[in-house]
Amino acid sequence: MTARQTADVARPASGTPSRIDGLPLRPTDVLPDATIERIQAGSLRILERVGVEVRSADMIRRLDAAGARGDADEGRVRFPPEVVEEALARAPHSYVLAARDPACDLTLDGTRGFLTVDGNAAEILDLGTGVRRASTKEDLAQITRVADGLSQIGFVWQPVAARDTPLPVQPLHELHAQFTNTSKHIQLMTAVNAEQARGAVEIAAIVAGGEDELRARPILSAFQTSLSPLTYDGPALEAAVVYAEAGVPSGFVAMPISCATAPASRAAALVQSNAEILAGIASLELLVPGAPTFYGACGTVMDLRTGAATCGGPEDLLFQMAGAQLARRYGLPSSIGTNATGSKTADWQAGVENALSVMASWLGGADMLCGAGLLYGARVYSIAQLLLDAELFDLVRAMTDGVGDTDEDLALDVIEEVGPGGHYLAQAHTLRNMRSQWQSRFFGRDPWEDWEAAGRPGPSDRARARAVAILAEHHPAPLPDGVEEQILEVIAAYGR
Amino acid sequence: MGAEPAPRIRPVPLRMRLEPLSENAVERIHRAALEVLRRTGMHVRSERLVRALGEAGADVDADQLRVRFAPELVEEAIARAPSSYLLAGRDPACDITLDGTHSYLTLDGCASELVDLTTGERRPSTKADLEAATRMADAVPEVTIIWQPVAARDAPTRVQPLHETHAQLTNTSKHIQQMTAIDPDNARGVVEMARIVAGGEPELRERPIVSAFQCTLSPLTIDGDPLEAALVYAEAGIPCGWVSMPLSTATAPTTPAGSVVLTNAELLGAIAAVQLLAPGAPTFYGVCTSTMDLNSGSIACGWGPEENLFSLACGQLARRYHIPSELGVFGTGAKTQDWQAGAQHMLSGFTSYLAGGDMLCATGTIYAGRVFAFEQVLLDSELVDIIHALEDGMSVSDEDLAVDVIDDVGPGGHFLAHEHTLRNMRRNWLPRYFDRATWEEWEAAGRPSPRDRARERARRILDEHHPDPLPGDVEAELLRVIAAHEG
Amino acid sequence: MDEKIAALREALYALDDQAAVGITRELIDGGLEPQRVLQEGLAEAMLEIGRRWNAGDVFLPEVVAAAEIFKRCNEIVEPALIEAGGHTLGHRVVMATVKGDLHDLGKNMVGAMMKTAGFQVHDLGKDVPTERIVEAVREMEPTIVGLSSLLTTTVPEQRVVIQALEEAGLRGRVKIMVGGAPVTEDWAAEIGADGFAPNAPEAVKVALRLAGSERPEA
Repeated sequence: MTARQTADVARPASGTPSRIDGLPLRPTDVLPDATIERIQAGSLRILERVGVEVRSADMIRRLDAAGARGDADEGRVRFPPEVVEEALARAPHSYVLAARDPACDLTLDGTRGFLTVDGNAAEILDLGTGVRRASTKEDLAQITRVADGLSQIGFVWQPVAARDTPLPVQPLHELHAQFTNTSKHIQLMTAVNAEQARGAVEIAAIVAGGEDELRARPILSAFQTSLSPLTYDGPALEAAVVYAEAGVPSGFVAMPISCATAPASRAAALVQSNAEILAGIASLELLVPGAPTFYGACGTVMDLRTGAATCGGPEDLLFQMAGAQLARRYGLPSSIGTNATGSKTADWQAGVENALSVMASWLGGADMLCGAGLLYGARVYSIAQLLLDAELFDLVRAMTDGVGDTDEDLALDVIEEVGPGGHYLAQAHTLRNMRSQWQSRFFGRDPWEDWEAAGRPGPSDRARARAVAILAEHHPAPLPDGVEEQILEVIAAYGR
Repeated sequence: MGAEPAPRIRPVPLRMRLEPLSENAVERIHRAALEVLRRTGMHVRSERLVRALGEAGADVDADQLRVRFAPELVEEAIARAPSSYLLAGRDPACDITLDGTHSYLTLDGCASELVDLTTGERRPSTKADLEAATRMADAVPEVTIIWQPVAARDAPTRVQPLHETHAQLTNTSKHIQQMTAIDPDNARGVVEMARIVAGGEPELRERPIVSAFQCTLSPLTIDGDPLEAALVYAEAGIPCGWVSMPLSTATAPTTPAGSVVLTNAELLGAIAAVQLLAPGAPTFYGVCTSTMDLNSGSIACGWGPEENLFSLACGQLARRYHIPSELGVFGTGAKTQDWQAGAQHMLSGFTSYLAGGDMLCATGTIYAGRVFAFEQVLLDSELVDIIHALEDGMSVSDEDLAVDVIDDVGPGGHFLAHEHTLRNMRRNWLPRYFDRATWEEWEAAGRPSPRDRARERARRILDEHHPDPLPGDVEAELLRVIAAHEG
Repeated sequence: MDEKIAALREALYALDDQAAVGITRELIDGGLEPQRVLQEGLAEAMLEIGRRWNAGDVFLPEVVAAAEIFKRCNEIVEPALIEAGGHTLGHRVVMATVKGDLHDLGKNMVGAMMKTAGFQVHDLGKDVPTERIVEAVREMEPTIVGLSSLLTTTVPEQRVVIQALEEAGLRGRVKIMVGGAPVTEDWAAEIGADGFAPNAPEAVKVALRLAGSERPEA
């Protein structure tokens, strides 16, 4: 038996998603002003002196025409500081990520942070067998449906790749799987060229009820990633432009790996990451002035022995917080990698890394916390892990409630009445207030003997059981009649 | 590898801080606590002490054994407590000055059971376990203050605290904080033993190699023996703090602020009481408030947001009083080092650090502080190491900013073999217990866990590490003291 | 009458101390058999509260609150019951925190939960000398004796109590349960106790087993 969960929202009627729990933010600046200014200056120098490689002569020419310094022969685009500054000035400071269900709209204005399921893993731990295998479209659909039922999840990325669908239209299949399984906001990361972006926009417009409707209420956003160090694929920038022209918010995310695709020192990795993100944002604002965009930082450190991404060490935490701090200074919404763990299972190490990472993103003030559910340095997805990560988010959210100090909270009269040596168990004040206490779904609270007798169950066991239950009970709001068919038609058309 | 030996203790610099209470809220809670002491007071279970407190200015009811304190009396008394002092180690390299610049991690206290290092099974603790645990902690730099991690349950009850003190004086040269001598007789025994090791009474007073603390009984009760013990320590110049550990919803109000008010009132009352009877005695403000499981009534230690908020809020209050503080719960309700333990330890440990206490309690236990595990101390040291790494922040010298290096490598290049990388890569954090093998290696090795690695290392430390020995006949004298107190 | 008894139960569910005491007094003064007030009014309500706790609808503090109201109502019923020659219901349980130990929170929780299972609880308090426990066993003839201690230094006293009961020739007449943070199943076995529980809800299960009855579940 379990105590009633205060994290349990009022049971939604089947078909409506839970309301979204945002994380109230009170950002702390992890780096002193002098430090961060040097980093910003370093990035500007890189952008002016080195620039970024853009793998498309056409795009280089366009950027050059729009005010950057493009050199199509060299394949480089450089950005003088004034250009960067002007571009940043054009980008909106805040906007809404809309959702099919308006109760799930998210306002990115720096006051609340929203958790998303994390990104594009190639493998998944099978919910039934626990075995690691390649991910499928059905997995994507299932995870999305679970996310739809969790109040801690604000919006969804593509947690796994739909590897059983044809590559050229894979992102469109992913959108299909997601639009049919959630009425929360969707952020697409896998459409990396103009064609795919156009397909995505078409699908989103169908779901939104028209192009104008999509522009007014963008139920889709997207992002492009740089190729560290200092490179953008031409098609990726073209995709960003397509999105921007349709009114779909389009962000830029850097995922450098220190010692491999970024320098070994923390400051330098940050300088480079910052430069890459600014290059993307500046490019977008030059071509589509005023386009809503965001600043995405997801850096980590290389394992010196194996060369793999480590994910979850203290450097990552600094990158998280510094990234959010930089975004704030630039007046941009931030998307910060969170919950990353290098662990291969939901064990002690994962608990440590998950917990500290959520704290770091919260302290840093991330508008978007990405994201829940990944293991093994972001390579393997686990639905049980999704629930565990959501639990930690919920714990930290409850911490933000702080300590109220009304008379009822201070309880002076109660303290006097109970007096020395008494107890508070049966006091009316206790009965009135005790349900505000945070309840965990997955932490074990049974006595040691019972736990041994039951074979030492752990949090993942409980999480897995709950995931199965959600999949059995939760149904997302269905799409209006005929919409799904239209989506499939679009996919077919792009597949030809 | 540097040429200098590793430091014996690694205090955590206090730079990052989190303060959830507004200044106004701090004042309200402070004044509320004063009101509790004025109106309700505390139950002090000793006629002699109640009388003495009455003579010292408190408002006492001798029949009820109730002591009430006027606000001015409390403020005045608190102001007498020193705001900074030395906690010495037998080895001066382990000296600690509590001055608000660093936080010092303590070993956890007085679990009644432990996880056997060989069998992995849970069993009651013995003096030998205490010796081993102390000896291991002596070798772990992140642990700076040695509580009694387990009870010496096979020692005669009457002098158990003295056996515990003996076990510790012989197994560590770090500072020892005695928590189990909760009556004046045992406190006197501890003082005698500490004096022998320190080399005499003035030597101990100048360099207190032992400190102590007493606990209030929530709500609002001070037992006579602990208060007498505190006075014994005060007389000997041994810092003696007070720790309040109410269970929210049961022995404190269920609202977080109410629990903080009660905790604060108990501590102010106990500290004021000692300051009235022994002005200027070095002391500290110790908090161990936790929540209660609403369903079963069990203690939920290091469980969730409430405990973390208690640490943070009490940190703010302690700073207001300019008394050294001992805060935090580095705790978990988990029964093994699983995901829950990792998450709860990290959250409670990190918020304890953010609370800014001078002393950060406390490492080594699971199951809400009831079970000690050798490997837990080492796993916790990993967390402290991470906090250290975070504290290091980001240096921004030209070498660090490496703009030329970025230019050199250029877009699409890589940094793997660059001199700058080879020069700097070792500054990146390396885990001791986190697993960074590939999935295949990990499967092939039978899915080893951080706990396994930590256990192995604990065994190695116990095999190899020898604490600084006591001079020749000192140990014999310690045993004589125990015998004298037994008889 | 049935309505009034139902109202008494409702008052307990609502944790309305005043109403419960008021109705109890009304019923007793009005001449209703005290046995009925106790059985159908108070005890039945406690059993139902226990069922609701089991289902997770009611929390421990609410159980304790109900137990305290029960106690106050029972103080009105008992004298009338004894006068009428009726017998108190349920197995008797004597509880104590052993000598030298001042912690009684756990014991109080256990006592409250026991009442929801229909036990009659006599709490001797804290820091209770062994002789007093022996005397209480002799006088009250309980089915179960519950011993609590929170300190490793007072836990050994539990063994002393059991030995004292043996010497007094009373050991065979009671079942002994032990509890408290340092207490484990192994310790209970070592000192020859009949049962051990790590928290209040578990204590009820063990007590029911020792008393040879099952909690009437919904």
